[in-house]
Amino acid sequence: MAAGLRPGRALLSRRRGALCALLRAARGLAARPETHFGFQNVTEAERREKIYQVFENVAEKYDVMNDSMSLGIHRVWKDILVHKMNPSPGTLLVDVAGGTGDIAFRFLNYVRSVRERQLQQKLRNHQNLSWQEISKSYQEEKSNPLGDSQVVVCDINKEMLKAGMQKAQHLGYSEGLSWVLGNAEELPFDDDKFDVYTIAFGIRNVTRIDLALQEAYRVLKPGGRFLCLEFSHVSNPLLSRLYDLYSFQVIPVLGEVIAGDWKSYQYLVESIRRFPPQEELKAMIEDAGFLKVDYQNLNSGIVAIHSGFKL
Amino acid sequence: MAAAAAGSLRRAGWRLWRGRAGLRCQLYAPQQGLHASAALRRASEEQRKDPPPSPSTQQQYDPQQTDPHPEQEAWNPQSSYTGQGGQQSEDYESEEQLQHRILTAALEFVPEHGWTAEAIAEGAKTLGLSAAAAGMFHSDGSELILHFVSQCNSKLSDLLEEEQKQVQLGEAEKKPTDQFLRDAVEARLRMVIPYIEKWPQAVSILLLPHNIPSSLNLLTSMIDDIWHHAGDQSTDINWYTRRAVLTGIYNTTELVMMQDTSPDFEDTWRFLENRVADAMNMSSAAQQVQSTGKALAQGLMGAAVTITNLTGLNQRR
Repeated sequence: MAAGLRPGRALLSRRRGALCALLRAARGLAARPETHFGFQNVTEAERREKIYQVFENVAEKYDVMNDSMSLGIHRVWKDILVHKMNPSPGTLLVDVAGGTGDIAFRFLNYVRSVRERQLQQKLRNHQNLSWQEISKSYQEEKSNPLGDSQVVVCDINKEMLKAGMQKAQHLGYSEGLSWVLGNAEELPFDDDKFDVYTIAFGIRNVTRIDLALQEAYRVLKPGGRFLCLEFSHVSNPLLSRLYDLYSFQVIPVLGEVIAGDWKSYQYLVESIRRFPPQEELKAMIEDAGFLKVDYQNLNSGIVAIHSGFKL
Repeated sequence: MAAAAAGSLRRAGWRLWRGRAGLRCQLYAPQQGLHASAALRRASEEQRKDPPPSPSTQQQYDPQQTDPHPEQEAWNPQSSYTGQGGQQSEDYESEEQLQHRILTAALEFVPEHGWTAEAIAEGAKTLGLSAAAAGMFHSDGSELILHFVSQCNSKLSDLLEEEQKQVQLGEAEKKPTDQFLRDAVEARLRMVIPYIEKWPQAVSILLLPHNIPSSLNLLTSMIDDIWHHAGDQSTDINWYTRRAVLTGIYNTTELVMMQDTSPDFEDTWRFLENRVADAMNMSSAAQQVQSTGKALAQGLMGAAVTITNLTGLNQRR
């Protein structure tokens, strides 16, 4: 796994990473496609392999760890994402790197409540309904509570999908939900299929972000929306110092204590630092062809939601 | 499921069609492959590289364009690819124009859904876009209302220009000011009638703090327009008082109209007539007060001089 990374040497690994970067710059461009895994430099194939293993290891304790690391705030972030999406009934959503299904469940809840409100509004507007019409509308509510909305959860990692399916069963979500194994850089879907494409805390782990963005563009219908929720760059210097302190000192320890896996959470915090900042990601999204690209910082940059439209 | 299959078939069909369009447009930017959506990507890249194209530069790109108003409608690479309002290509349109098109299409769903994001989503669907395109706009529907108001204002402006042209050509009589104002306000308010049921909602949304600058802007420019066409050329305080008075008349008449149930809003137009008459009287009343005041002042001065003369206090003579 991560060579030379021992528990408690977080600082050393950072210096080593910086040294590696210097060496690489001195050498000039490497021959093989070099990319990063946290603060190490690895080939693309190695990176994919390592990331797969990381998520295989954390799949079972993923939700618990999310809650403990972000002090439960990740739920608010995901709620804000779905609120921003404001899906109407009949929307087709693909949640890529959706793993344990957080976004998918929130989407289903939202769409269900919008549908209920729509049916209530319809009843209220028509004031001279016969008993037949009223009972028909109640039947409609029971037979089609989601209004034909569907969500496809796509993830590259089988363990994460398994954990998600178990959670869905446990929470009672069955309708309008499907689970697909797939790579974000090469989605197993047709062109022009989905209304909304979301990727929450997943695009950081994709090796070729530009390919993933191009795939997103491909599978979206004209008028479709791309939404990306991801850790991003904090510009406030004081907050940035506190955040770094918390990330590098507290999170790997939590990982060891709760999930028994220091290295995976070390990778997590390092990968956040290596991810492009808001403006750069915005430029990459525009390059893939999206229009009206914009981002919204949550918690002053700890997390950012990027949004773009295929027009 | 069947609907989804039909939808994907339809989209596959359009994709083929667009693919052909992509083939013929190869001279524009051969970097991307002949991907079905290459045309859109190319166009958006071009738009980002150049500043938003003016209608004249757009002319260079497509000599076969049949639509005389390029800024109003999207236009097509070849004349054979003309959909009857529905699946038209948005390739050479800017984002703004597309947004305008979506909002215009959304207006017909307003009586049913109100001034909300749902109406915008329905409008986007009629243009062949996904309902998610409504996410481009604010979720409370303010852009839809502002778009509608500015559309009404430009329609009013065109109407007034027409009238002015007719008067200049001698085809029509020049109307007296009060009649002119009455007709202009009535014409403008009649444009709201199709949406009158949901109009109170619209007015309340326009009064939200983040909408006030734009709505105030639209209102003042409309009133200014009316006065300009009425022939107002004042350069003193009258400029402000006239506009303030007309704004008051317009707003109160709008409020009356919202709860008017008489046939064809007769009560509203009568209310408007009375208010305009009041305004006219007010200006003549102001003049009268002024002249009365002057006369009164003179009278008092004269009385004071007479008294001082009588009592012998006036030593000067």
